[in-house]
Amino acid sequence: MDNHQFKDGVKAALPIVLGYLPVGMAFGVLARQAGLTPTEAGLMSLFVYAGASQFLAIDMILRGMAWFPIVIATFFINLRHLLMGSTLSLYFDRNRLRALGLLSAQLTDESFAVAMSNTSKIENRTGYLFGLQITSHIAWITGSVGGALFGGLISHKSYGIPFALPALFICLLVFQIRNVHHLLIMGIAGLSSLAFKWIFPGNWYIILTALLASGIGIFLNSKVQSSKPKSPLTPPSPPLGRGEACPPNLPSPKRLPSARLLEAGFVQAGKFFGRRGWR
Amino acid sequence: MRLEMLILILGMALVTFLPRFLPMVFLTRWTLPERVKKGLEYFPISILSAIVFPILFFNGEGRMEIQPYHLLSSAPVFLFAWKVKSLWGSVILGMLIYWGLSLLLGH
Repeated sequence: MDNHQFKDGVKAALPIVLGYLPVGMAFGVLARQAGLTPTEAGLMSLFVYAGASQFLAIDMILRGMAWFPIVIATFFINLRHLLMGSTLSLYFDRNRLRALGLLSAQLTDESFAVAMSNTSKIENRTGYLFGLQITSHIAWITGSVGGALFGGLISHKSYGIPFALPALFICLLVFQIRNVHHLLIMGIAGLSSLAFKWIFPGNWYIILTALLASGIGIFLNSKVQSSKPKSPLTPPSPPLGRGEACPPNLPSPKRLPSARLLEAGFVQAGKFFGRRGWR
Repeated sequence: MRLEMLILILGMALVTFLPRFLPMVFLTRWTLPERVKKGLEYFPISILSAIVFPILFFNGEGRMEIQPYHLLSSAPVFLFAWKVKSLWGSVILGMLIYWGLSLLLGH
């Protein structure tokens, strides 16, 4: 591993550190409120390292839920990493599995966003991405343990801590909205979640809502697709090779993360057809 | 360290690691069917809506009841997140507004 690349990555992580320390502390405080020890909070940040699902786990523990539904909810929340992992996989040699295992274990929304803001720095340069991610991870663990240790000194009702979790989720929700279609899905999902929570016990409303609203999303999408006239002259997307995985219009730091994910899907489709060869 | 907490942490770690890692292994070998991809596209927004809306309209005991503090704090966070697109900025802003409201109105 190149030492210079590593340092470069550490520097790039500093904005993430500024954010991870206080939110990690908020996690530690909440974890303590939910009865976790500082060790348990630290281990969760070390092994799981996924902000939204860690906060959700704390929320569910506070409501007395068992480990199994929490793991299922975590799985669904983190399914979004499938597409981020797919995008990152474009930039690395697939034969270096051990390095990729370490890098993907530390993949978060924020480190992904920073990595994608300058893709020339990550292409086959594991040192840079490792520096970026390990620095963010250490900040997250430090914040969590600090919050858990000193959480007893702070009332969980003060400093707006009860709203840290809702604000995080509201923001992540806003990041997902990129057109009117998504706004509609948000409305449908929001209303049906209220209805499901009112009717069903426990946390089943999350999974029921996800299945119903995505089903409606797919249905609406197919309606929109089929109502558009198909042009037989549309040229096939050009094949994208491994080396040219990042055309100039691919990930731009200004765009929403979800927009980048969609583009990643298109790149994958392009690779798929490129390998088959268009004739 | 309680056993159930250990199981929880390892279980969460596993289901978090797999979606992060598996694309690295398999994606160069096969692709998801288009319908599955479309469904995955709507999962995050549906799940997040299902988390956010009940927070605003249910109380801690799980009964339906408007949460005025949460509702008042969520509007500026929504706008800030929309305009500035900063996760941490939104969190800090939301906490400050909620804190201010509870200091002003008493909670």
